[in-house]
Amino acid sequence: MSEANLTLAADGVLSLVGVLDYRSGPALREQGRQLITGCTKGSVLLDCAGVSKSSSVGLALVLAFMRDARGAGKQLALRNLPEDMREIAQVSGLGDLLPLQA
Amino acid sequence: MSAGNDCAVELKGVTFKRGERTIFDNVDIIIPRGKVTGIMGPSGCGKTTLLRLIAAQLKPSAGEVWVNGRNLPQLSRSELFDMRKQFGVLFQSGALFTDLDVFENVAFPLRVHTALPEEMIRDIVLMKLQAVGLRGAVELMPDELSGGMKRRVALARAIALDPQILMYDEPFVGQDPIAMGVLVRLIRLLNDALGITSIVVSHDLAETASIADYLYVVGDSQVLGHGTPDELMNSANPRIRQFMQGIPDGPVPFHFPAPDYREQLLGGDDA
Repeated sequence: MSEANLTLAADGVLSLVGVLDYRSGPALREQGRQLITGCTKGSVLLDCAGVSKSSSVGLALVLAFMRDARGAGKQLALRNLPEDMREIAQVSGLGDLLPLQA
Repeated sequence: MSAGNDCAVELKGVTFKRGERTIFDNVDIIIPRGKVTGIMGPSGCGKTTLLRLIAAQLKPSAGEVWVNGRNLPQLSRSELFDMRKQFGVLFQSGALFTDLDVFENVAFPLRVHTALPEEMIRDIVLMKLQAVGLRGAVELMPDELSGGMKRRVALARAIALDPQILMYDEPFVGQDPIAMGVLVRLIRLLNDALGITSIVVSHDLAETASIADYLYVVGDSQVLGHGTPDELMNSANPRIRQFMQGIPDGPVPFHFPAPDYREQLLGGDDA
């Protein structure tokens, strides 16, 4: 049900893949913290193209990763946010807070 | 196959009895997915019972209740527990925990049903409160909130787990016009933006007709009619017309059944 994963490529692209929900959320949270703080690049690009389905947990993950990046003194940008995440972001008033890359 | 992709909930031949009383008699209802469906009818006609049947809090005496392709009366207890996570319910009373502040009220289902870390619970609580316009009230206690604010906090709590089906039990009762307008807008917004299936049980005709895509009118243990608000408003059925147009006397009589008035006042014999 909750197959999800997070991988960091050498170029600093962090790929979020799968279903983001209450089951997958806790493990992804920890994975993200380790990958972002351990990343040697000064900026991280969170790519959500592989997200197949997301609840509010997906947005909470993005926010947590933004805090991780800030804490580690890195830039974090976001790309390919799927439609369901965009809608939740909009309803929750997150539109202006997310570092979306055009 | 029942409750296919187009319909989130389907009641087939549902009968529900409480003791000797038949609340529903062989009722069929289809709730379309992703729409706002209003279930209307006079007070006491069993609307809340209907919600409880859909939410698997009550078992029908006969018939099938399909939700997202599963027939609830056939599910085990643990399967039902899982199914219930798909439902959010906004109770008529709001039902906030009076000794928890707004934050903890909204966080409650997240703490009970998920293993999310505290920081993510906080994010989600703030997101839900932002959606209902009450992020600033996060530290208030329920008794510091107006009736309309209470209902909005309860709504934030009802959507905390991102339910697929959101049920509103008399959401407009006792609300001032501004609070009512806010609720109407929120129900529509959450439905459309989040792809939720909404079921609004209400006897407030104007508000419900204004947001519902589709309406059912129930009464006398039956579905009296269903259709779009316009279709029902122009219905030829006198029972539906009486309810939709708020006519005090009609097929649903003004008078509760009573013995003959003359006889009761003046006695049986001709004076």
